[in-house]
Amino acid sequence: MNDVTMDWPDEARLAEPATVLKTDEARFAPTGPAPGATALPAVLAATALAACGDGSDPGAADGSDAELQAIRRRVRSGYPSPRSDAEAARFLLQAQAYATATDIASVRSGTFSAWLATQYARPPGPTGWDWLNARGYATIDSTTRYFDNTYPGDYMIWNQLMTAPDALRKRCAVALSEFFVVSLSGLDFAWRSHGLAAWWDLLVAHAFGNFRQLLEAVTLNPAMGYYLNTKGNRKEDPATGRVPDENYAREVMQLFSIGLYQLNLDGTPKTDAQGHRIESYSQADVTNLARVFTGYDVDMSQNVNTYDAVLNRNIPNTTPARLPMVLNASRHSTLAASFLGVSIPANTPGAAALATALDALFNHPNVGPFFGRQMIQRLVTSNPSPGYVARVAAAFNNNGAGVRGDLKAVWSAILLDDEARSPAGLTQTGFGRLREPMLRFVQWGRTFGIRSAAGRWKIGDLSNPATQLGQSPLRPPSVFNFFRPGYVPPSTALAVSKAVAPEFQIVNESSVGGYLNYMQGVIRNGVYVNAPDQPNAGSNASNGYDITAAYAAELALVTDAAALVRRLALLLCADQLSASTQTLIVNALNATPVTAASTDAVKLNRVAAAVLMVMASAEYLVQK
Amino acid sequence: MHLIQPRLHTRRAFLRRSGQLALSGAALPLALNLAAIGEAAAFNATDYKALVCVFLYGGNDYANTVVTYDDASYNLYSAIRGGGAGQTAGGIALARSALTPTLLNPATALAGGRQYALHPSMTGLAGLFNMGRAAVQLNVGPLVVPLTRTQYASADRSTWPLPPKLFSHNDQQSIWQSSSPEGSTVGWGGNLGDLALGSNGNSLFTCISVTGNAVFLAGDNALSYQVSTGGAVAINSVKSNVYGSAAVKAAMATLVQQSRTHLLENEYNRVTSRAIGAEAQITSALAAYPAANAPFSGFPASNSLADQLKMVARLIAARSALGSRRQVFLVSIGGFDLHDNLIAQQPTLLARVSEALTAFYNATAALGVSDQVTAFTASDFGRTLSSNGDGSDHGWGSHHLMVGGAVKGAAFYGTPPPVSVGSTAAPEDQWHVGQGRLLPSTSVDQYAATLARWFGVADSELAGILPNLSHFGAAAGRPDYPTDLGFML
Repeated sequence: MNDVTMDWPDEARLAEPATVLKTDEARFAPTGPAPGATALPAVLAATALAACGDGSDPGAADGSDAELQAIRRRVRSGYPSPRSDAEAARFLLQAQAYATATDIASVRSGTFSAWLATQYARPPGPTGWDWLNARGYATIDSTTRYFDNTYPGDYMIWNQLMTAPDALRKRCAVALSEFFVVSLSGLDFAWRSHGLAAWWDLLVAHAFGNFRQLLEAVTLNPAMGYYLNTKGNRKEDPATGRVPDENYAREVMQLFSIGLYQLNLDGTPKTDAQGHRIESYSQADVTNLARVFTGYDVDMSQNVNTYDAVLNRNIPNTTPARLPMVLNASRHSTLAASFLGVSIPANTPGAAALATALDALFNHPNVGPFFGRQMIQRLVTSNPSPGYVARVAAAFNNNGAGVRGDLKAVWSAILLDDEARSPAGLTQTGFGRLREPMLRFVQWGRTFGIRSAAGRWKIGDLSNPATQLGQSPLRPPSVFNFFRPGYVPPSTALAVSKAVAPEFQIVNESSVGGYLNYMQGVIRNGVYVNAPDQPNAGSNASNGYDITAAYAAELALVTDAAALVRRLALLLCADQLSASTQTLIVNALNATPVTAASTDAVKLNRVAAAVLMVMASAEYLVQK
Repeated sequence: MHLIQPRLHTRRAFLRRSGQLALSGAALPLALNLAAIGEAAAFNATDYKALVCVFLYGGNDYANTVVTYDDASYNLYSAIRGGGAGQTAGGIALARSALTPTLLNPATALAGGRQYALHPSMTGLAGLFNMGRAAVQLNVGPLVVPLTRTQYASADRSTWPLPPKLFSHNDQQSIWQSSSPEGSTVGWGGNLGDLALGSNGNSLFTCISVTGNAVFLAGDNALSYQVSTGGAVAINSVKSNVYGSAAVKAAMATLVQQSRTHLLENEYNRVTSRAIGAEAQITSALAAYPAANAPFSGFPASNSLADQLKMVARLIAARSALGSRRQVFLVSIGGFDLHDNLIAQQPTLLARVSEALTAFYNATAALGVSDQVTAFTASDFGRTLSSNGDGSDHGWGSHHLMVGGAVKGAAFYGTPPPVSVGSTAAPEDQWHVGQGRLLPSTSVDQYAATLARWFGVADSELAGILPNLSHFGAAAGRPDYPTDLGFML
């Protein structure tokens, strides 16, 4: 494989080379508060009370119906509509990670809730799968070998994030992709880029659907089947001592549904009489549940092979990379399985066993707080109050119409809650989250309307922390995502107060520099692409800065540095740049005079310098 | 009974909890602080020593890494793993004849005729072992207290506590690195760094990771400093004019380093501030030891572990310029979670480990510090002995390697486990907990203590760094779990 576009020597990458494809290069991280430490750090407890408005906090609510109704009612109490462009932008930055002037105007035309309703009703944009096919990446050719390469997958996902019309749905799908994790770096099968596209399209399609259906689709997806070994997983064989593979059974509990410890509705861990956390599942649960996930394999029923004489290999078509996995009953375990208080009798047909198992996971009381808290962390703040978690979990448990698992209810609960909308968060020293590097880059692209001149959108893997972003969409180093929900940066004030900051797990002395150096180049000149005019990797006379921002509106303001910076402050961080920071930036810009008669290069220098300085500021980097 | 946690009762731990530790941008020498509060625990080294942790992420399959070789044991292994007739390969079993070139010849033969060979792709490490420069620690894994299988299976978790969240990747990585599951912010490598800070000219270069954030190197005061395989990353916009403007360069330097009231903003800028402060010194120190020169040019290509160890070697070469006397490094390689394709994929990974570590040892020898640098492997866990078809599942105890001139090599440490997956009362079934997941007969605390002592840590300090250590050793009535495993000179 030879992706010249984003080629760098393997030694510069901290991730494993692509030939080592088994996943689970798992990064550790602490998770959650220590046993008994259910109290918030003081700076955040005040947030919780202020956000609730009524001085009370549902805390460890028991989830009864009346309780849930009361909790839900608090969600929309304080701030139904944006009262300024800054409030509209703040909402947009939480909801879709970027804000254009058009978006701000749209939000300001009504309530936040109405804007969300519009987005929910909007149909999904073009799929990654169709994009790959339209650009010829399904072609079987021994020289291009798209069926083995990962770069089409990179191009696909960047294009999705940079151009999709359904930005909220895409943002939610990104959040889902950091909970239900499949990594392109860990896929090893024919048409892995198509497989990744099908995986991504699945998350997009279900983003406004129901968690139960999403969980089932995830379980049967072929890329997930390869990634966590459900594909080809066979029942026990006493003669050889073979036992079912336990990988998916463990991770579906640990990461995709209930987590390690029993939780209260507000996300705090339940404790026993000695104050210890209570595990939510045991090794025996894993071993038993593993029997349910046996007998599955990719669906070859629509496959047609193409023999490649050069490679002496049969190349399948792309259908097995997308069709849900199918069950081979003869390979499905015939043993009884008992887990999480559920019993599946021996010889239960696989489909029934799967339904029982997924229902058991879905209906576990942990799911609302476990999933809800992490989605809050992805969109709004790293350390939500227990009350906030409880309200979101309550919405998961019951969307108001008696339905459990309605994802729209979850997104609405997160984005409309007082804790997200209240101005109080803007002045609290512990509120908010560090923006992820890949989403800062997407924000740059969407805010300034970047375009691919040749239309091929060849943005590749940007994972290198020393020279690029240190993060690339759908390429986490393991099923544990880029960072753990409970990561506490060691040797910091956060560690002292046990506050978490997941995104800091990829912040270090290399990656802070890689980000600034990479952005310094792209902000001014765009993304350099080799052979932008052809789908396959290569190098030709067209090499150049194919993906650029025109900065039309910014250039119109370029002679007025203060106006330029005000605009950027609004769009990039909802006016969360202090006056002193803006002054610092404006003064630096004004050191080089720019008039209407200045050259294009000089004008672009000023716009680029303004954007870079804003995107380097800590006030921008931490989203509030 | 085992709720006493010595770690919580040292003065350092008290300080940690009460937030009195210095949290400024650069790490401060701890020696002065500790001396002031009466714990003269830090040491002031005059010579140089370095520990290098090579973490194998994903849980390496021990059974195909340090492979049981004597006929009786091999045949059991082969039967369990689906080997072919006549000791040939099959299932997930390796062929015995393929193991002969990497057979390990200890100076003293193991009891009972037990023999081991390394995986066929690990010729370099086998050579180092046989030359006396590497050793094997058998069946090591996290333990809170020594355990028998019966005690493991009993429901009495007060008398026989288990390490938390066994078989879970992230928790076991955390436990190997810090004796605590998720929730931990201090690792034992970082604690070693704490004690060594005062020995180093720039305390920031005490604990260095070439592989990304991990709790192993986080200390109470010692920070884990990140270097890329290409060196320290210089931030262009603070070193050179930005789009032609010196004023913008100056503004950038202020913006990215300024203190902030917001907790997250401040922590981010602290990292950038450290990066800028350290880069010039690292870059100039490394300039005298270019990667293209010997011995660094001897590292294999296309091997990210080798790239990381090459950078470690260069930093060690530059120790005078950096003023370093005691350092702890972390490097890693991933991909070991081979639920599938064990036979197809493990050889490449182990070849990388062997080639990288061999090149690293040779480089330290060429630099004249081979007796002063000790590398050791670690991993989330070992794996099952039984097969799931074409791979193995999460396990517990594993075999690991120690490499360096100060290692008493050509030797096995620990107890060779029986080869079994049975669940009878027979002796051979007592050292696994099902499917051949090894029940460790040596704890990570003992392993770490042995390395720490060589590094210069006093015995009195060890309990503070390794909280479960007091459950092992003669003082705890368990001389069969010695707190010094004896593999260091």
